Amino acid sequence: MPVIELSMTGRPKSGRVVGIDLGTTNSLVAFMGADGPEVIRDEAGNALVPSIVYYDNDERRLLVGEEARDRLITEPRKAIYSVKRFMGKGSADVQEDLAMVPFQVAPGSEHVIGFQMGERVFTPPEISAFILRDLRERASKFFGEEVTQAVITVPAYFNDAQRQATKDAGHLAGLDVLRIVNEPTAASLAYGIDNRDEALVAVYDLGGGTFDISILKLKDGIFEVLSTNGDTHLGGDDIDNELIMLIIAEIEARSGSKLDRDPSAFQTIRKAVIAVKHELSSHGRATIAFDLGPALGGAYRREVPREEFESLIGKLIERTLEPCRKALKDANLKPEQIDEVIMVGGSTRVPLVRSKVKELFKREPHVELNPDEVVALGAAIQADVLSGGRRDLLLLDVTPLSLGIETLGGAVAKIINRNSTIPASRAEMFTTWVDNQTGIDVHVVQGERELVQDCRSLARFTLKGIAPQPAGLPRIEVKFLIDANGILTVSARDVRTGQEQSIEVKPSYGLTDEQIEKMLIDSIEFAEQDLSNRQVIEARNEAETVMRAAEKALAERADQLIDSGERAAIRNALGELRGVTAGEDHRLIREKIKELDDASRHLAEEIMDGAVLAALKDRKASEIAEG
Amino acid sequence: MTTTQTQLSANPCSHCGTKAERAHFCPQCGRIQPVSEGTDYFDFLGLPRMLRVDETQLEKTFYALSRQFHPDYFMNAGASEQKASVERSSMLNDAYRTLRDRVARAKYLLSLYGYKEAEKKAPPDLLEEVFELNMQIEELKAARKMADEDEVAEARGALEEALRGLEEKVAKIDERLLELFDEWDRATDEAANEDRKKSVLDRMSELLSHRSYIHNLVRDINEEL
Repeated sequence: MPVIELSMTGRPKSGRVVGIDLGTTNSLVAFMGADGPEVIRDEAGNALVPSIVYYDNDERRLLVGEEARDRLITEPRKAIYSVKRFMGKGSADVQEDLAMVPFQVAPGSEHVIGFQMGERVFTPPEISAFILRDLRERASKFFGEEVTQAVITVPAYFNDAQRQATKDAGHLAGLDVLRIVNEPTAASLAYGIDNRDEALVAVYDLGGGTFDISILKLKDGIFEVLSTNGDTHLGGDDIDNELIMLIIAEIEARSGSKLDRDPSAFQTIRKAVIAVKHELSSHGRATIAFDLGPALGGAYRREVPREEFESLIGKLIERTLEPCRKALKDANLKPEQIDEVIMVGGSTRVPLVRSKVKELFKREPHVELNPDEVVALGAAIQADVLSGGRRDLLLLDVTPLSLGIETLGGAVAKIINRNSTIPASRAEMFTTWVDNQTGIDVHVVQGERELVQDCRSLARFTLKGIAPQPAGLPRIEVKFLIDANGILTVSARDVRTGQEQSIEVKPSYGLTDEQIEKMLIDSIEFAEQDLSNRQVIEARNEAETVMRAAEKALAERADQLIDSGERAAIRNALGELRGVTAGEDHRLIREKIKELDDASRHLAEEIMDGAVLAALKDRKASEIAEG
Repeated sequence: MTTTQTQLSANPCSHCGTKAERAHFCPQCGRIQPVSEGTDYFDFLGLPRMLRVDETQLEKTFYALSRQFHPDYFMNAGASEQKASVERSSMLNDAYRTLRDRVARAKYLLSLYGYKEAEKKAPPDLLEEVFELNMQIEELKAARKMADEDEVAEARGALEEALRGLEEKVAKIDERLLELFDEWDRATDEAANEDRKKSVLDRMSELLSHRSYIHNLVRDINEEL
C-alpha cells in the first residue's frame, strides 16, 4: 500500500503522528501544534467529517462526509452511516439496529457483518477505512507530507473484537495505528486538569452511538484510570430514534396507512428530528416541519416543547447512570469524592443530560471544551507522547471487561479481571485429558457473567503438535496478554522443553488476515478512483481559468486584433470546452483546453505584443522622467 | 487477537552481553531487560517478602516504574526492547494490583509457598447462622412471590441485620489477619525456622478460606436484597 500511496500523491512520507476520533456521527483529526493540540479543518473551516460513506456501484463513485450526507435523502440505499455501531459484530448481534437503518445485509454476515451496495459488499472496517482515508488525506494535504501514523480513539467499553476491527480499519486506510486510545481517557488528557497535586476525575462521554464513564486519578502527570463502564449501544442515535418513532406513529395514525420504512421518508424525518434535538438544547420549544410529498401524507408540522422531549428520552438518560454507579463502586469511591466531572460527546449538549449528571455527582460538570473536538485533541496529545515529543504525561488505562476461559460445563474461569491496568497478563497451565492427546482447545471469552453463553466469545484456539504422552503429563503454559491497546495476544510454550508451542487461532468475530489482504488489494481500485477524481477537479479548475481568460480577451480586444473567422473558432472551442467540464473525463477536458489554447494562440500573441509595446512605451516615458 | 512467540529470558543483556541478573535495565548499555524466569512480585518491586506494606510508598514505586517501563516510551525502540517493555509493565501492573490489596497480597504469599487456594470453608461457629440465613432468604423470596409488602419488609430487615453481623465478622477476621501479618514479618525479620513460618502460613490460609466464605455469603445476600 505505501508504494501506491506514494506514487499517487508524490508527497514525502511524514514522521508525524496524528490523533483521530472515529466517531459514530462525526470524525475528525488533530495534531500537536506548537501551542498545543489543534484540530485540522477543511477549506471551509469545518473540523467534523460526517461519518457517512456513499457508494454508487454503477458509476463506481465513492463519497465521504458532507457529500455523502447530501445524498442520504435522495439516494438512501447507497449511503452507510453510524457504522461504528456495527464494528466487530456479527449479524445476530445487531438485529435491533438493522431495523432502524435502511442498509441491506449481505449473505454470510455471521462473523463480520457485510453491507450489500450494488454488486459490492463492504464490511464496517472497510466503511470506516474510507472515512479514515479521508481524514488522512486532509491531514496530508495540511502538512504537505504523507501522514502514515495515527492514534485512533474508541469507546472505553469496546471489547476486543471492536478494537481489533478499528485497528483493521486503520490498516486498510494505509495507516500505521500506533495506539488505540479510549475516548474518555483521551478527553481527560485534553482537559489536562493536572495543575493540581491530585484529583479524582469522572469523564462522562455520551456520543452518537456509545456511552462511556471513566473514573481517573490524576497525579503528577500520571492519568491512572481506576475504573470504566459503559454501554456500547447507547447514544444520540437512540435519542433520535425515540423522536422518529413518535413521529412515524403520528403520521401513520393520521393517514391510516403504514409508512413501510420508506428509506427516503425515514431520512427526511431523521434529518428534521436531529435539527429539532439541536434546537431544544438552547430553546424551550422547537418546531419540527417537513414534507414527505403527497403519496406519504404530505406536509407535517408539530411543536415539540422541551418537557415533552425530556419525558421521551428520560429513560435513555437514566440508563447512563447505572454504569456511572458501577464505575464508582469499582473504583471504591462515592460520588462526592469526585473532584471534577468532564462532559464529552455531542449528546452532552442536551440539558437533561447535564442536569442528571450534576445531580449524580453533586457538582457542575465541565463543558468548556467543544465536546465534539475534545477527544481528537486528547488523541493528538497521546500521539505526541508516542512520537517521543513529551515524557511528562503518562496514561495508565484499564481493560473494561473481564477475560475468561471456558471450563467444564460451560462455566467461565476469569483470568484477568475488568479494570485491570493494561498491559495486563496472566499465565495459565494446560494439560491433556487423555493419553497421547496432541492438541488442546481453549475458548476465550470476555464479559462479567458466570456462563460462557452469557459472555462474548473472543476466539477459540488450539495448542497443536503436543508430543504424545500419558494424560496430564504435558505442561503447556499459555500467556494471555492484554496490550496497551486493550487487545488480547496469546502465546504458549511447553514448560518442560521450553519450546514455543504452536497455536491456531479462530477469532469468533472479525476479519481474518486473508480477508484484510484481499481488501487491501480491492482498495487500490478506490485509490485509483480517488486519483481520477482529483484529476477531474484539477482539469476543471484549469478549464475555468482558461475560459475566463478567453472570454475576457474576446470581449475586450478581439475585434481590433483578429478577424471574424478566428473569433468564431475561439467561440466554438470555448463552447466545446464548456460542454465537457461538467463530465468526469479529465482527459477530454484537457484535450478541449488544448483546442481552445490553439484557437486563441494568435489572439493571445497579439495581446501580448500590444502589452509589450505598451510596457516599453511606459518604461521609456518613466526613464525619460527619471533621466 | 494475534499470537506472538514466547522467549525464555536470558540473563546476559541481549544487546551487549553484560550480565544484567534481574535488573530492570542493563547496567552497561541501559537497555530494558526481559523479566527473568521465576521473578516474583516482591523481587520485582524490590520488596522483602513481608506483609505489612506502606501503601503510599507502593503507589510511588508503581508510578516511578511505570514511567520507566511503559510501552508508550518504547515506540521507536527495537523489537526486543518493545517486547521487554510490555513484559515489564504488565508484570508491574499485575504486581501492583496484587500487592496493594492485603487479601490478594496474603493469598499471593501463600501461593509462593505452594498453598493452593483453599476451599471456601465455613467457620465452625457460623454453621448455625448460615442455616438461619438461608431460611431468611427463602422467606424473602416467598414474601416477594406473594407480593406481601409487610412480609418483604420484615424479611429484608432480618437479612440486613444479619448482613451487618457478617460484616462485623469480616472486620474481626481482618484484624486477626493483620496480627498474622505482623507475626509473619517478625518471623521473616528474625530469620525464624521453617516450622514457625509454616505455622503462620497455615493459620493464614485457614483464616482466608473463612473470609472468602463469608465474603461470598455477603455477596449472595446483597444479590437477594
